[in-house]
Amino acid sequence: MEGILPYVVTVLIVVGIYALFALGLNLQWGFAGLINFGHIAFMAIGAYTMVILNLYGVHWALAMLIGLAVAGGAGALLTIPAIRLKADYLAILTIGFSEIMRYFFLSEGWLTGGAGGLIGFSRPLESIVPVEHYDLFLLGLIWGIVLIAFIALQRLAKSPWGRALKSIREDEDVAKVLGKNVSAYKMQAFFLGSVLAGLAGMMMAFYHSYVNPYYFYPIETFYAWIIVILGGSANNRGTILGALILVGVFLTGTRFLGPLVPLDAYTFAQLRMALIGVLLIVLMLYRPQGMLGNRRELTF
Amino acid sequence: MIDYVITGITSGCIIALGAIGLTLTFGILRFANLSHGDLVGVCAYIGLACERFFYSIFNNIYAAAIAAAIGAIIGGSLIGLGFEKIVWRPLRGRGGSLVAMLIVSVGIAIASRHVLMAIAGPGLYFYEIPPKIFHLGDVRITSVQILVVAAAVAAMLFLYYILQRTKLGKAMRATSDEPALAKVSGIDVNRVINWMWIIGMGLAGLAGFLYGLQSALRPGMGFYLLLPMFAAVILGGIGNPYGAMLGGLTIGLAQDLSLIFLPAEYKIAVSFVVMIVVLIFRPRGIMGKVT
Repeated sequence: MEGILPYVVTVLIVVGIYALFALGLNLQWGFAGLINFGHIAFMAIGAYTMVILNLYGVHWALAMLIGLAVAGGAGALLTIPAIRLKADYLAILTIGFSEIMRYFFLSEGWLTGGAGGLIGFSRPLESIVPVEHYDLFLLGLIWGIVLIAFIALQRLAKSPWGRALKSIREDEDVAKVLGKNVSAYKMQAFFLGSVLAGLAGMMMAFYHSYVNPYYFYPIETFYAWIIVILGGSANNRGTILGALILVGVFLTGTRFLGPLVPLDAYTFAQLRMALIGVLLIVLMLYRPQGMLGNRRELTF
Repeated sequence: MIDYVITGITSGCIIALGAIGLTLTFGILRFANLSHGDLVGVCAYIGLACERFFYSIFNNIYAAAIAAAIGAIIGGSLIGLGFEKIVWRPLRGRGGSLVAMLIVSVGIAIASRHVLMAIAGPGLYFYEIPPKIFHLGDVRITSVQILVVAAAVAAMLFLYYILQRTKLGKAMRATSDEPALAKVSGIDVNRVINWMWIIGMGLAGLAGFLYGLQSALRPGMGFYLLLPMFAAVILGGIGNPYGAMLGGLTIGLAQDLSLIFLPAEYKIAVSFVVMIVVLIFRPRGIMGKVT
């Protein structure tokens, strides 16, 4: 690969990972109305479980499956204390959980390699795909997964299950009166969303051939929130578009602006992050339905 | 052991001061303000700027320290009022729901922390007040610990006076109990909300100053306080400022006592566990009333 191509591949890989990550959040927030401010925790749990098992000699495919189950299971478990309570509590519990998981991965060095992270795990089909084309292969794999997840989520959204989720989002009590087991639906939505986050985490680990706790700061969760809200909550197409715009245009584009602005790299990076916060405020104030969202489908 | 208790009480006072603003917002505007932690950090840095500025003029470290405390408090109040005017009131005017407010508060948290990091840089800063150490038998107490507890007690007495003895306090409690009823009985709700930000964020400013005094100033300091403050609010019963004070002390003590048998990284996990236990077994908190 020559010229600009490797760069485009890199950007599209990262866009794909964030799209997958945000599709999970869109299921929880957009369709079920559940506020998950700790989405990054499940990305971390999925990635670390897969990598650790892999390093202990488990085949990558089995390690991935177990990792997805653990990430999903953690998501489902976390809903238990908050399921009967107001939205705010779920928000606080999840953001707290994600910070505690980050401290866990940082401090339990015997298991997770601590701040140094983990390397040396095997990647899918590494023996078949030539090293120089591995990124291209990964690009195809990730976008293949995004496509499958997108189709599955579109079908789920139109299925009776998806309609029940939406009814819970609109009015929990009505859904309950109609005989829906609201807690079970919420738990299932959290499970599936966390599985998608875990899968995105694994793809990130494969792409970097490395994991460390610094990939999993709370800000990553809010990137997913921006992606979902920008694209339009409860709209899977919008979520993918949002990932393309946030990661592919905003985060990548401003990186090119760096040398043109009379600021040092650190200050510039901080102001870029601050702009993300401002974007979130402005979106909520002036266009809460995002680009493709439906105003009537909003919980806010 | 007694050392852990003393640091626990000190941290507890700081958490309690921060938690008051959080629980007032929760009670009156009904949303969890996730920017509260980061703004506590911003106030600490405002205090630092005041300290440096006044030290360069008066060349007296104690005058500079007082300026830092006052600067942090006033800075907090102004920030609270500012966001009310620029963001919160317009959002309420557009019919923004509680969930919208929650998300906007995250936006404020991210924006303010990173603006702070852009201005102050990633390094550690310290207030330049020389600590004195007192020995009472075997027990070691620093002047900072005494100051933190004294300032917290004074602030809490002040809050008690405002809430119980003034017309404004009555209006605040009424709005917190039943906003619609408060409105029809002629309470100017917007005025109550303004004062809620002034008082809550002023106390948050004081908390930021004291927290900086107790440890050091770093950009993530406020966010680190967010979880303990929420644990204090939930433990004390949402919307109950006295509950939040008691909750803050409890959380502070529990966190520092956990150091006896847990590594320091898991200090924050104590707040989390307390929160889950309270949410499962006593969602109204230890002092909460039926709502």
